[in-house]
Amino acid sequence: MNTLKSYLESMFAKMPNTREVLRAKDELWQMMEDKYMELIAEGKNENEAVGTVISEFGNLEELSGVLGLENAFSYQPTGGDTTQEAGIYDRQPLSFEEAKQYVDELVRQGFFVSIGVMLCIFSVIWPILCETFNWSQALGVTGMMLFIAAAVFLFVYSGIMVGKWDYIKKGNYMIDFDTAKVMQNEQSRFRKDYAVRLTIGIILCVLCWLPSMVIEETALGRIDQFENMGAVFLFIIVGIGVMMIVYSSMTMEAYKQILKINDIRLVSGNYVRASGKEKYINPTVETIMSLYWPTVTSVYLIWSFLTFDWHLTWVIWPVAAIISGVVKANLTVKE
Amino acid sequence: MAGISSDVIRGYNDTMILYILLENPSYGYEISKTIRQMTDQKYLIKETTLYSAFSRMEKNGYIQSFIAQPDANGNGKKRTYYQITELGRQYYEEKCEEWFLTKEVVENFIQKGAEK
Repeated sequence: MNTLKSYLESMFAKMPNTREVLRAKDELWQMMEDKYMELIAEGKNENEAVGTVISEFGNLEELSGVLGLENAFSYQPTGGDTTQEAGIYDRQPLSFEEAKQYVDELVRQGFFVSIGVMLCIFSVIWPILCETFNWSQALGVTGMMLFIAAAVFLFVYSGIMVGKWDYIKKGNYMIDFDTAKVMQNEQSRFRKDYAVRLTIGIILCVLCWLPSMVIEETALGRIDQFENMGAVFLFIIVGIGVMMIVYSSMTMEAYKQILKINDIRLVSGNYVRASGKEKYINPTVETIMSLYWPTVTSVYLIWSFLTFDWHLTWVIWPVAAIISGVVKANLTVKE
Repeated sequence: MAGISSDVIRGYNDTMILYILLENPSYGYEISKTIRQMTDQKYLIKETTLYSAFSRMEKNGYIQSFIAQPDANGNGKKRTYYQITELGRQYYEEKCEEWFLTKEVVENFIQKGAEK
């Protein structure tokens, strides 16, 4: 039965997502299902039944008239024609392997980026340690720069690795029913993990001040060298927390990326509607928001390096995240 | 269904479907099964052919569709049923007349198993 469902889905995958087309698909499915059930009841095995149903299914071209799709079957790419209408009929299917590799690469990128972000946060521990233990300032700066350099390397490297899949974003691609289903299953399997990791990450960020409070309130605070250790713990905890948040979000995003390849204008977009893309209400907001995180990052770095108040400047991140959440909630619409 | 050219029979798919609907409303698979049985397995209507006929005839007002939900006991499944309209009955009559005429005309030129 799944074979039949896949067969029908693949026949309709490239059709425009209209009421007529969906109704035709639905009714053809009713007939196929009835026929299949009866063949099985007559004692045919599954393969025979599937074979018979498919061989007697007919030809979708026959429906072009009633579906108002006279052009759908005779459509030939004309090269110069880049209208959207034309675009929906000449989509390239993406093989399952390609889709899988693409997702894996995006997940890997998520891992590298999250480690990179963590290293950036850890890097500020160096100057603090140097101050505490009276090491040379040069060591502090060098350590910090090394961590940042490693992070930059991870960002660039993972970006380049993912770059080879850019054609998927630019091209006119679609994934088939089976691939979409597998990806959707993987996504929903990951969902629980995602929730747990995200929660732990957020809790770590929220409770990051705990060690420094404990140190201050207890006897440890009276030992000179422990005075600054609170800040060190704070950065370690925030670093791990942020790493978990970034990694889990980017993994989730990887599944969304692959699932949203199918266009909502196609029937094949129906089985990924759950991941409907959020869009900003107008292009201006979209442009401003695309610069949002880079701006926040710049402000963070400039403020931090000008004042060296690292213990304060991190506040930018949670504040920025809240603002972004508010903007998203108010200025986006589901596609 | 060896021997039947789909070009020839296409003009009479509507007639067959309407005939079946004259008595009772019915749904896709049941109609195709009835056609197969009534023609002694000689004619097998494809799903896409059947649906395009439904769709066309509904647009022309010859048939109406309704959705039948499973009954309270959960028997049956959700299906689209078709029923014939008054216009459909008239059209059926016309098609029958047309067939008699066609048959009469074509028959003049048919000689089974005969030699010249």
